Amino acid sequence: MLSTHPQPSHSARVDVIVIDDEDSIREGCRQTLEREGYCALVATDGVEGLDLVKHARPRVVLLDLRMPGISGVEVLEKLPGIDPRIIPIIITGYGTIDSAVQTMKLGAFDFLTKPFDMDQLLAVVDRGLRKYEALGSETAVAKPPPVKAPKPSEPDILLKGLETLGQYYSLGLRDQTLAAELRALEAEAQYHSKVLGQIREKEKAIADLVADLRLVDEIIERHGFRKSALIQILLDIQSAKNWLPRHTLLWVWRRLNIPLALIYQIAQFYEAFSLEPQGRHIVQVCTGTACHVQKAPEFLATVSALLGIKEGQTDSRLLFTLKTAHCFGCCALAPVMRIDETYHRNQSLKQLKAIFSSYASEQASHKESEQVRS
Amino acid sequence: MTRLSTPAALAELRQQLAAARSAKRQSVAICSSTGCTLNKSNVCSQAIAAELAEKGLEGEVELRRTGCYGFCERGPVVFIQPQNVCYLGVQAKDAAEVVEKTLRKGQVVERLLFKDESGRRYKTLGEIPFYKDQKRVLLQSSALIDPKRIDDYIAIGGYSALAKALFELGPEKVVDWIKRADLRGRGGGGFPAGVKWETTRNAPGDVKYVIVNGDEGDPGAYMDRSLLERNPHSILEGLIIGGYAIGARQGFVYVRQEYPLAVEYMRLALEQAREYGLLGTDILGSGFDFDVAIHRGAGAFVSGESSALMSAIEGRVGQPRPKYIRTSVSGIWEKPSNLNNVETWANVPLIINNGVDWFRSMGTEGSKGTKVFSLVGKVRNTGLVEVPMGITLREMIFNIGGGVLHGRKFKAVQTGGPSGGFLPESHLDLKVDFDELTRAGSMMGSGGMVVMDEDNCMVDAARFYVNFLAHESCGQCVPCREGLRQMLHILDNMVSGKGEEGDIELLEELCEFLEIASLCALGSSAANPVISAIKHFRHEFEAHIRFKQCPALSCPELLHYFIEPDRCPGCQLCRKECPTEAVLGKPKAVHVIDQSKCIKCGNCLRVCPEKFLAVIKVPGAAVGQAASAA
Repeated sequence: MLSTHPQPSHSARVDVIVIDDEDSIREGCRQTLEREGYCALVATDGVEGLDLVKHARPRVVLLDLRMPGISGVEVLEKLPGIDPRIIPIIITGYGTIDSAVQTMKLGAFDFLTKPFDMDQLLAVVDRGLRKYEALGSETAVAKPPPVKAPKPSEPDILLKGLETLGQYYSLGLRDQTLAAELRALEAEAQYHSKVLGQIREKEKAIADLVADLRLVDEIIERHGFRKSALIQILLDIQSAKNWLPRHTLLWVWRRLNIPLALIYQIAQFYEAFSLEPQGRHIVQVCTGTACHVQKAPEFLATVSALLGIKEGQTDSRLLFTLKTAHCFGCCALAPVMRIDETYHRNQSLKQLKAIFSSYASEQASHKESEQVRS
Repeated sequence: MTRLSTPAALAELRQQLAAARSAKRQSVAICSSTGCTLNKSNVCSQAIAAELAEKGLEGEVELRRTGCYGFCERGPVVFIQPQNVCYLGVQAKDAAEVVEKTLRKGQVVERLLFKDESGRRYKTLGEIPFYKDQKRVLLQSSALIDPKRIDDYIAIGGYSALAKALFELGPEKVVDWIKRADLRGRGGGGFPAGVKWETTRNAPGDVKYVIVNGDEGDPGAYMDRSLLERNPHSILEGLIIGGYAIGARQGFVYVRQEYPLAVEYMRLALEQAREYGLLGTDILGSGFDFDVAIHRGAGAFVSGESSALMSAIEGRVGQPRPKYIRTSVSGIWEKPSNLNNVETWANVPLIINNGVDWFRSMGTEGSKGTKVFSLVGKVRNTGLVEVPMGITLREMIFNIGGGVLHGRKFKAVQTGGPSGGFLPESHLDLKVDFDELTRAGSMMGSGGMVVMDEDNCMVDAARFYVNFLAHESCGQCVPCREGLRQMLHILDNMVSGKGEEGDIELLEELCEFLEIASLCALGSSAANPVISAIKHFRHEFEAHIRFKQCPALSCPELLHYFIEPDRCPGCQLCRKECPTEAVLGKPKAVHVIDQSKCIKCGNCLRVCPEKFLAVIKVPGAAVGQAASAA
């Protein structure tokens, strides 16, 4: 085992500093690390920790996020200022995954979720030290902090490039060379901005996914983790998401240990469930008997023509999904349709158009407010 | 809320509540059920509340949001006491006048009263023809109950039947009463509830369940929804009594998720009953423990079948199973489980309170009591009606329903939903009870009653039910899955003019096959709509096959819309109502329909003013369409 570790330094060099206010974890980590031959120091809060880092210059810092005084995030932000090569590893409690993801953006190398066992700790520290070594061997000189500058946007990079060009120019390089450099820099900047965009998208997708799974957890908990509540759980997911995304079904499977095939069987059997994304608003035209004899098919044709979609379809803006339903129990008012939770009778074309456009404009204003916020 | 630990405490609470109620001199009850909400009853009630506050009448007038009165078509229904006035179609703008005239001066606002064709106005609920011939037992005292408040129900005697069952009768006697009352299941089959209760009671095992079946999948019927939204406590009380008599400690209420209001009211009802100690441990100090959970159905007609519903409660797919052993012996988790329809349970407290003889005094020899029907389709007064068993179809449709809409000719009435059949004019004097309807080739079902007039095509109606059933078939047994699919295929051909000689006979053969070989009642009764349609309206089927024509001018593929040039004044109404801009024409010039764009929504015909009647339906496909189809 030991031989596979990066060599623990036998000099005065400090390998790891553990910053955590919880005695048991702090001391546990220290003892384990020392047993494995690392040089480990400890600090009980952020201020003390930063002080210690300044003096001891460790290679890896284990950092708790929740501490009295200055928080783990603040410590994390200050670390590159002391030594950009330090590898920060976050210790986090259950249920603060979100903040962990945030710290990764701030340059944390990895994170440990409490409770963790000592093998996990050693594995992470081991990887951290390897990373440190790798960084050291790449460049002898201290590199600027890896990715960590906050949002290197396209103009930033270009400006930086121009600055560099200015330096070249002062050296008396020829115009052609300059142009080539400029093109190369521009291409590089564009490449980075594209990658950055992709990373942002991925991050958002992951955040959405985590939010979905947490929602499923809440719903399952509300139903007391009972397997028999499966249909009720799926109904709640459906009403929250408007459809049943695959990852939520997988999560139900993992949480309740119900065979995935059974979950899919139920999801496909009942009318209420949809395995495909649906529009923000569900338009359901009742085709019960009472509505049928009162010209529901004709009403459906009208609605279908107005929305430009057929039964079962969703429009391209993901605004409306058109469905039929077997009776809402509003038979005396036939024919009826339901948009989300609101019922509407058949009306003149102008009124119907007004109803639909009210939903559409609601959507537009929603978008606007979102843009303003961002 | 204090926990009631003795029946005396319940009686005392009732007295207090009743006294508090009589302190307010007047009351305004506004229906807040789904139907009236659609007609903006919530806006209306807010307006009245604001008006009362402004006039300083809040202390004097009680404003109550109640459940359904049944007359959904004319909603919102507003009922004012003690003036005993019933207003229909009240909107927010009428609030001021109602408060000023009726509540302050005791006058009547004439224009809001019910008006019949002759122009006569009716002041009270009881006078309106729609209500006059009804016998409202389950639906009585709607105006006194806010479904969200248990106190309203207790004040008018709610839960007294429970106290009586627990402390006076005992379980054996309760079962005996239900048996002697001859209460038959209101969900469709008409199986005697008492016999079912006894079977479950005597079945071996300590753990037993009782269930309310509120999976009202029958399209065109909404009795259960209305009962749940009107007074959930009466159903709950029946369920607790049933649980006590049968020896169950756990009950379930199964409600369709398409009825969000019903689910919400039932949830509130359970909460409030628990707070009063009418649910939970040691109910009213009797030592009887009982609790209830709600299960929402996810939209499958077949899940209303007893064994399927029980699978769904277990969290499995709601599919029926062969019932070699009845669910009353082996149901949920293989424990004895007694399932009854919403309406059946709602009858229980009434029987316990009023006695067996009272219940037996209503109805016919084989069917006792009253039945709630949803009288819908092409009748003038549509809505929920409660009548004693044995009333004739004619009385229901023509007296209560006020006859066929727009003075059209009556063609048929469909009872029992997808498992029932069509009854033509010759059967109008049939007495409505479980046995008579079955003998006539239809069935009671849960109480759907859809009236059809001469504009409805019976082939299309039969196709409608077969389509519904084919869609809802769970697919476990071949006769139902494949049989219905073939029937649908044949009927689809007929309504689109591709029917062939021999199709009718093939349908009849398939029907027979379905009846014999299906696993559950969905398949075995699926033949009823088709068989009865063929039996009474064979000529319509033949017309579709031989002449490719729809005699009722209803099947869209066998007709087209046309504007008579010499009648069209060019008023633009139909042009404006056409969703696909198929109507062409300038103002004051004759309009034309572009048949290639027409989707046959019928809007042009609907809006064409009566004095012109320029838009007509013409049998056969239009020339342009025929060409494109060929």
